[in-house]
Amino acid sequence: MGDVGQSTANTSNKEMTSNQDELILAQQRQIEKEISESIPLVGELEPVTSLSSEYSGDDIYLAKVNDLAAKYSSMRRTRPDGNCFFRAFTYATLERLLGNKEEFNSFYKLAENSKNVLVELGFQQFTLEDFYDTYMDVLKRLADIDNVDDARRELHTVFNEQGYSDYMVVYLRLLTSAQLQKEKDFYSCFIEGERTVADFCHQEVEPMYKDSDHIHIMAACSALNTGVRVLYMDRGTGNIVTQHDLPEGCTPTVHLLYRPSHYDILYV
Amino acid sequence: MAGSALRRLMAEYKQLTLNPPEGIIAGPKNEENFFEWEALIIGPEGTCFEGGVFPAKLTFPPDYPLSPPKMQFTCDMFHPNIYSDGRVCISILHAPGDDPMGYESSAERWSPVQSVEKILLSVVSMLAEPNDESGANVDAAKMWRENREEFSRIAENLVRKTLGIPQLLG
Repeated sequence: MGDVGQSTANTSNKEMTSNQDELILAQQRQIEKEISESIPLVGELEPVTSLSSEYSGDDIYLAKVNDLAAKYSSMRRTRPDGNCFFRAFTYATLERLLGNKEEFNSFYKLAENSKNVLVELGFQQFTLEDFYDTYMDVLKRLADIDNVDDARRELHTVFNEQGYSDYMVVYLRLLTSAQLQKEKDFYSCFIEGERTVADFCHQEVEPMYKDSDHIHIMAACSALNTGVRVLYMDRGTGNIVTQHDLPEGCTPTVHLLYRPSHYDILYV
Repeated sequence: MAGSALRRLMAEYKQLTLNPPEGIIAGPKNEENFFEWEALIIGPEGTCFEGGVFPAKLTFPPDYPLSPPKMQFTCDMFHPNIYSDGRVCISILHAPGDDPMGYESSAERWSPVQSVEKILLSVVSMLAEPNDESGANVDAAKMWRENREEFSRIAENLVRKTLGIPQLLG
């Protein structure tokens, strides 16, 4: 045992450094977490023009806020925690469906059946169950409310309860992963490097707090059978926000604002 | 949140009890607290850790399985991917982007559809095939690379220690 004792006592500097790295990383995470938790998971409706206050003195952005305000009246901010696309997209999709019983019902049926699809793709059932149950539970609660305004209030409450809200996000991540894997021949063209579609899903789609890219959005749209229009606001030239419909040529029913690495919900 | 974590941990415990993977036993320390588990891992056959029974503890966060648990061996260990205090350092215990060791991009990462079973199976493969690129224990990584015979001798003594058998002498 002498050898082992010696090597443990003789902790090298390099090992100290990697412990240190881990501590720094943990502290960084903590700070990020505190900042992001000061912002609600999904905010109240506010006018698009409220964005101006973030960019005072920044002519490029101010011109773009004006352009955006000409196209959209209001917005909801979402918490910038890496889950913003999934949270915004699910919220906006459900919020719209609440106004259309028939469409809501077919969405509900699709959701009901989705667990089987995931199990067929090789997800272990006991790891899915809680996320699926929460997803269906929320849909059911919303379906049971007759008054649209009451249902929307319930949606807002549920999406601001971390437990429910995060489980909804996980489930949409899984549905997105399933969509990517079902159509892996198509999506593999969009993945850089040597990674397979399955690897990509395990590393970039299924884990919480991982940011979304174009490919996530395409697959999520396809999974929920919903078209989305993304308005891009960045420091690029011109006074106009560029827009992109996914899938291409669709009639978008969900509108999202993208600012570098963050998505919020827009309302016409 | 903690309610969902508890429900999931109970499901995992049930799964592990009904279909125990070879060489692995794991479960909560006591029924009062499902967030602290103990595990016993049998050193894989044909490796220098063969036959050892290595105890470890798993600590689950309140938002499990959104975030991964932590794992720490509670016996003496000497291995490139285990810190000198027993903490296990492998990619599946980290979310992507959260990797102080710079794991390769193809390595398996934590996500809510991973499980305790997947972690423990990864730890068994880690015992069989250390990754000397990510040196949680630099001395062990160096010895694994440069002096395999000595590494094996230390490992065998660790095995003997877990079984309460007298040590081999250098």
